[in-house]
Amino acid sequence: MEKRLIAKDALAGIIKKLSEKMVVYAPVKDEDNICFRVLEKGQEPLVNYANTKNAPKNFFFPQTETMMRYMRTERGMELKSAEAEDVPEALLFGARPCDVRSFVLLDNVFDQDEYQDPYYIDKRKKTTIVSLACVTPPYSTCFCTSVGGHPMSSEGADVLLTDLGGNYLAEFLTPKGEALLSQIGDLAAADEGAAAAKEELVKKSESEIKSKVAGSEIKPWLDENFEHPFWDTIHKSCLACGTCTYLCPTCHCFDISDQVKGADGKRIRAWDSCMYWLFTIETSGHNPRTSQKQRWRQRLLHKFRYFVDNFGAIACVGCGRGVLYWPVNIDIRKDVNDISKL
Amino acid sequence: MQKNPYVPIPVDIAKITTEVDTKDIKTFRFTFVNKEDEENFKYLPGQFGELSILGKGESPIGIASSPTQKGYVEFTVQKAGVVTSTLHSLEEGARMGIRGPLGNSWPLDYLEGKNIVIVGGGFAFTTLRSLLNYMIHEDNRKRFGEITVVYGARNPGLLIYKDELKEWEKRDDVNTFITVDKGDEGWKGREGFVPTVCKEVAPSSKNAVTVICGPPIMIRFTLPVFFELGFSKENIYTSLEMRMKCGIGKCGRCNVGEKYVCKDGPVFSLAQLDQLTPEY
Ligand SMILES: Cc1cc2nc3c(=O)[nH]c(=O)nc-3n(C[C@H](O)[C@H](O)[C@H](O)COP(=O)(O)OP(=O)(O)OC[C@H]3O[C@@H](n4cnc5c(N)ncnc54)[C@H](O)[C@@H]3O)c2cc1C
Ligand code: FES
Repeated sequence: MEKRLIAKDALAGIIKKLSEKMVVYAPVKDEDNICFRVLEKGQEPLVNYANTKNAPKNFFFPQTETMMRYMRTERGMELKSAEAEDVPEALLFGARPCDVRSFVLLDNVFDQDEYQDPYYIDKRKKTTIVSLACVTPPYSTCFCTSVGGHPMSSEGADVLLTDLGGNYLAEFLTPKGEALLSQIGDLAAADEGAAAAKEELVKKSESEIKSKVAGSEIKPWLDENFEHPFWDTIHKSCLACGTCTYLCPTCHCFDISDQVKGADGKRIRAWDSCMYWLFTIETSGHNPRTSQKQRWRQRLLHKFRYFVDNFGAIACVGCGRGVLYWPVNIDIRKDVNDISKL
Repeated sequence: MQKNPYVPIPVDIAKITTEVDTKDIKTFRFTFVNKEDEENFKYLPGQFGELSILGKGESPIGIASSPTQKGYVEFTVQKAGVVTSTLHSLEEGARMGIRGPLGNSWPLDYLEGKNIVIVGGGFAFTTLRSLLNYMIHEDNRKRFGEITVVYGARNPGLLIYKDELKEWEKRDDVNTFITVDKGDEGWKGREGFVPTVCKEVAPSSKNAVTVICGPPIMIRFTLPVFFELGFSKENIYTSLEMRMKCGIGKCGRCNVGEKYVCKDGPVFSLAQLDQLTPEY
């Protein structure tokens, strides 16, 4: 692993320069929000920010994407292309460790031995991820340490940047990361002191995540209590708006539909949400999940029970977006902690 | 990387059979446009495919033919919504797509050496037909014990696979019991509900497995009959339906507890279902 130092005021310029050679997804100011966007030529990314409003999952799993194109012929619709749309080599800059970890979790779903999702995998493979460690927790709502993460974790990252004060310690962790280093060019080598300073921060940052959630403790209760009075009230303030699933870095449910315009058609997929009644309705009219109670329970169980059963990890990275942006005062941390006391 | 699992395999409709008097259930025989696709489409009874019509969408449908029938694959489809109605409007020779085979299958290894009781109701006899034709094929018949079939529909006009029913009734290595809830003038066969007929037939539970598909109400009243006969939940299998899209365990739509019906199912034993959340 290569360890280098990047002067603090040089970082944004380095990324800007890279954006002239490749597609760069990075945090930028978008009206009153900070969001991941594709950097425009000459645009500098933010390097000082808490976290973005949107999770970066849409770069690998876009909100809508074309899966195949077809056209009308004498024989009916005929496939024109079934390739993932042209996917560029790209750099995802500035993703927080929680969001980067979400990709490791999503890999379980999209990159299985049995069925590989070419659209996700193609983009994932072609993107180098530069993660920005959370030396201090961005928000009081961060709870990554309760769900298997760490504010300075490098899990899933190709490069990890740690703010040491005057410099960033840049750790080039993977072959993709090292290839990026060669694109950046000259960077001062990091000395022992930088590594030691980082180790200090690792301990400190962990202790500064104050929001604790009984993430892994509730699994046995969830296994046993599909029916329980707890579920009868928990969903009451839920509007079924789906915001939680759209902002969530690990929610991956999607719909597939067809769009035809004149002689041209395409099959697309779009994010869907288990919060919606239509999600499960069958043609007969039968719906296994008719009530918001059932749908709410499904989402919580999917994250804290089913995903654990299938992949050995909780499908929540503790980014706190749901807590921050839920339009009603639902707080998944409180719900999980309430369960742990039952 | 593997082949893109979302891309349908091109097929032609080689034959359409209207199965019922109401004309809303048809069996479609598809042949593969490319020989290699035909060779790669290796399936077992109980699996399903996504019938894919570009411009309209896809529907998960159980495979109704048996892998012992070479050169084509069949699906029996009820006209319901957008995709199935479009399919019903197509004619022989039309080109469309299939994704699959998908899902698990009837537990053939487990069924081997056992007596098999097949119970079907209405048009949900499709993958049971696949299983039956597979088991009675000369290459396979010896691998299975006694075979009993109880199949019922509301009236004679709604029985599907009418020609094959006659063939099966003629065979002495299959005990076939066809019934209708209510007959008409021309009907000389049995009258009575499937649960009642099962009770009369009373197949022994010794070394036996029941596979059952049908309307929920039929299943609800038939299961107690088999419990009474001594069948354990490990020895009763059924096939689940859930709304599906991807068919490969990714879109998150069809889960029952931690299992995805599209990938881990659709076939489950009652004992397995007891382990899952009761939401289907
Ligand atoms: C494993 C499996 C095997 C199956 N095997 C068979 C088989 O062998 N034969 C067979 O005939 N069928 C089978 N089915 C059922 C079959 O998949 C459905 O009947 C089929 O998908 C219907 O598709 P469609 O496009 O025709 O209906 P759609 O047009 O998709 O129908 C949509 C239905 O969803 C609901 N819906 C959609 N949009 C709305 C809305 N905006 N508002 C309200 N409700 C809405 C309605 O109930 C509507 O009827 C099987 C299903 C599964 C899961
Ligand atoms: S249909 Fe998509 S997960 Fe089963």
